[in-house]
Amino acid sequence: MKWMQFFTPAESLDFKETEAYISQHPGDKITILDVRQPSEYQESHIPGATLIPLPQLSDRLDELDPEKPTLVY
Amino acid sequence: MLAGKGFKKVFNVAGGIKAWHAKTAIGPQDLGMDLFSGKEEPLDVLKVAYSLEQGLYEFYITMEEEAKNEKVKDLFAKLSDIEVKHQMSIYTAYNDISDEELSKDEFEKMVEIKALEGGLTTREYLDLFTPDLNSETEVISLAMSIEAQALDLYQRVSSKIENPQSKDIINQIANEEKAHLSSLGKLLDNL
Repeated sequence: MKWMQFFTPAESLDFKETEAYISQHPGDKITILDVRQPSEYQESHIPGATLIPLPQLSDRLDELDPEKPTLVY
Repeated sequence: MLAGKGFKKVFNVAGGIKAWHAKTAIGPQDLGMDLFSGKEEPLDVLKVAYSLEQGLYEFYITMEEEAKNEKVKDLFAKLSDIEVKHQMSIYTAYNDISDEELSKDEFEKMVEIKALEGGLTTREYLDLFTPDLNSETEVISLAMSIEAQALDLYQRVSSKIENPQSKDIINQIANEEKAHLSSLGKLLDNL
């Protein structure tokens, strides 16, 4: 069978590019968004990352600033 | 999900955290939107939603066949069962608002299959994400990314639909997808 693609666009950055991006931008000018589960966040996360687990994301978008570049993982 | 909600610049961080690498979204923003023109009557919306859920169901069944680990197989079986339940609720909603009651067979014959045309095959989809099918964490993460995409699609569609009754139905389905996402999240927490 064929699968319809129904995805939203987003550029991908690999981990190196992510590190570079974060170091080139002040922390208050970007959002690093961790959408994993809290247990995974606790285990390890990118410093400064905001935790909003994926199941809650659509209800909590107002906590984020859409003007800021947002790095999601 | 963010890119469709007015966020100016969104990047997926790929590869850094292995379990999350499957979440990379692809394709332009209107992909999948041609499933819905925005003018659909409630009954039409339900038909399209049903075919979308059929896609999810078949995807999980294929994953179940491919997986070698018994626990992972069981998990896929459970996930495909959930989609069957979802389809049942769409079918029930259809009969609730339709003038004439249809049997499930009659309903399925009528459901449009365009959602499944012109997209990726299950194999191509898997190649894109290359999940480790024997890792429960990766499997659940992939399932979550698929459910999130479905939720995202329903939410984007909802804002486009004019008929209030159709809007309600789509919102209800979106809420059910959200509930799926939550239960998958809990599953991941309890591994």
